[in-house]
Amino acid sequence: MNHSLRLDGVVKRFGDRTAVDGLSFAVPPGEVFGFLGGNGAGKTTSLRMVLDIIRPDAGSIEVLGHAPGREVGRRLGFLPEERGLYRSMTALDTVVYFGRLKGMSAVDARVRARALLDRFGLSANLKTNVDKLSKGMAQKVQLATAVVNAPDLLILDEPFSGLDPVNQGLLEDEITGAARGGAAVVFSTHVMQHAERLCDRLLLLAHGAKLFDGTQDEARAMLPARLELVARTDPAGLDGVESTAAQGDAGDGWTRWRVELSPGRDPGDLLQQCTARGVPLRRFEQHRPGLHDVFISIVGSAEVRS
Amino acid sequence: MSRILLVAAREFRQIAATRSFWLTLLILPLAFAIGPLASRFMDRSETTRVMLIDRTGGQTAQAIARRLKLDDDRRVLVALSRYVDRHHLEAADPGATWARHDRWYTDEEVARFAATGGVSGALAAIRRIKPAEVPDFVAPEPDYALVPVPPAIAAAPAARLDALLRPLLRPDGKAEPLDYALLVPAEFGRAPLVRLWSNGQPSADFVQPVQQVLGRELQSRYLAASGVAPATARAAAMLTPAIAVQTPTRDSVRQRTLIRSILPLASAYILLMSLILSGSWMLQGSVEERSNKLIEAMLACVSPDELMYGKLVGTVAIGLSMVATWAACGLFAAYATHGAIADMIRPALEPVSSVGAIATILYFFVLGYVMVAMIFLAIGATAESMRDAQGYLTPVLLIIMVPVTVLVQAVLRGSEGVGVQVLTWIPIYTPFAILARLGTGVPTWQVLGAGALLAAFVALEMVALGRVFRASLLASGGRPSLSALSRMMRRPA
Repeated sequence: MNHSLRLDGVVKRFGDRTAVDGLSFAVPPGEVFGFLGGNGAGKTTSLRMVLDIIRPDAGSIEVLGHAPGREVGRRLGFLPEERGLYRSMTALDTVVYFGRLKGMSAVDARVRARALLDRFGLSANLKTNVDKLSKGMAQKVQLATAVVNAPDLLILDEPFSGLDPVNQGLLEDEITGAARGGAAVVFSTHVMQHAERLCDRLLLLAHGAKLFDGTQDEARAMLPARLELVARTDPAGLDGVESTAAQGDAGDGWTRWRVELSPGRDPGDLLQQCTARGVPLRRFEQHRPGLHDVFISIVGSAEVRS
Repeated sequence: MSRILLVAAREFRQIAATRSFWLTLLILPLAFAIGPLASRFMDRSETTRVMLIDRTGGQTAQAIARRLKLDDDRRVLVALSRYVDRHHLEAADPGATWARHDRWYTDEEVARFAATGGVSGALAAIRRIKPAEVPDFVAPEPDYALVPVPPAIAAAPAARLDALLRPLLRPDGKAEPLDYALLVPAEFGRAPLVRLWSNGQPSADFVQPVQQVLGRELQSRYLAASGVAPATARAAAMLTPAIAVQTPTRDSVRQRTLIRSILPLASAYILLMSLILSGSWMLQGSVEERSNKLIEAMLACVSPDELMYGKLVGTVAIGLSMVATWAACGLFAAYATHGAIADMIRPALEPVSSVGAIATILYFFVLGYVMVAMIFLAIGATAESMRDAQGYLTPVLLIIMVPVTVLVQAVLRGSEGVGVQVLTWIPIYTPFAILARLGTGVPTWQVLGAGALLAAFVALEMVALGRVFRASLLASGGRPSLSALSRMMRRPA
């Protein structure tokens, strides 16, 4: 399978500190890949290695089938966490400049920059100097510099931090649009709602080491399923039930039970058992763990261990 | 277009779009253009109005008037001689006083010039050979104009002169004021006192010739009173030492050296000045990405080396464009205009017209600029903000400027002492020293050796400061210590 991005056993050390520790993952084209971790987890360092801003001490990185470098950079888009612009350049010139640095011809860069800024609602501000733009407008210009070359691999480092709600929506549209167009999108974040809404797959990172890599469902499956049952008897004896707790009387001899299944057990199996054994039920409600819970559970326990 | 050139072009355009660039660009040509005008305004442009009240019979006033006229004629003669020299018109009358330049004209020569027709006589001869494109000679206005003594003042007793002269010295309204009134009393000779009224601080230019004439008059009378025959007394009073004024000829070694030194010295000064003026642009350029949080976005598109070389090319190009504009203005002033500036630049250009001399000047100028620009870039790259970087600009400039100023002064004095020799071999001063010394004749081996040293130093600087630049780009936590800088220089980023 062709991958837009592949890391294999990548290690990066700064002095005695290991910032990235044997990191491996791959992102195919058209996928939105979330790179999740707390502060200092190694997200930015990993992305910098992908962009060839810094070099790994060990392992290998393959970007769009090549080693990282500025030549492959022509097909990359990057929006860093720390964002700025040349204050004395106009909005249009800024986007054109980044387009040209990414190998576009002057004409193509100008046409594409105009179209993007127009789409972002900045057609009246093409010739406005950046220092005269509002913060929200400047954020749109920054986004335009990242996608001016219609990248095959779009890398976004904490892209939603500092964005106003309008620009958050704009960015989400760009991410999904880019993925629909066949681009791989890798973005780092520690805001789980964005990852939950956008990511096809995600990677959890703590202290430079990978804790999880997979789909959202696979991530959720790492936590025990939680159910809310209303039954006449305690379901503790059923196969796969880890624990039960009575939550109160539901009337007419019925009791509300909170049930936690063993990790990896399917709530559907429990329902099937109840039916087969004739366990009467008035309610069977499954509580799906959020990514936030998964993150806290996986990353949090790793933090505690360290 | 390569990414280095894209970065350089952006850098160039950004600096060229600033007001400070245009002010800096125009500052030197404007100074050259305004200089002669300013000096014309600052010179005494108004004729000094003098009233001579002579109560001894009139001979003393006549002697003073003759002396003032002689000084005026000398100024005209000097101006005419310069005009003839500038336009090579000596052939009009090779034997004429005004065809002999670069000398101080004696009283006799000035008198002879006046006696042979003065300016009008000279211009009649010049007109016969003067090419049409040569502008006409404009004689300077006379320094002095004698104001006739009104009868009321001529007849007034000395005690009333104060009251009578005051309205003339400080007139109401727009009437032209009298500058000086000089009373030579009837008893002058027996008593040495004369009285001078002035509408301001008396000028030595006026007082000294008057004092000289009156002194001779007193000496003559004193000798006559001592029994010396009047003619002998007068002749004795006129005795002055015959000082043979030996002005160097145009081909003398010292003058030739001086003329040859103008362009190299100017190059050294311009190199220094352009670095001082453009230093903050260079800092601004290198600190910009860091202070505007652009560095990561840029490094995703260009390598640190491309960014550094782009900035170096851009800032050096803008600095050299500025210098090239100044040079073009200088050439224009030299060959398309007439005046004091043209007179200064044209002969300075002639001795350094060989390809070797021009190549040497360009080599040391450009490499010198690159060398200092690289230092500024490294300072900017290690600074968090422009304010932080500015703090280091002045000390660095002073470290360069102070020894260079001393060096240029030493070369101007004709001193090629140990200090000058030593500075020649300290790389950061090498370009300045060689440029400054070129006019006085630097041995070829020294030019070649210093050139090689400078090239090696710039190459080393590129490697060491390039490492600092690269290592500083993504560093955080403030300015690195000296030991950290040293580590950065030794270890590839």
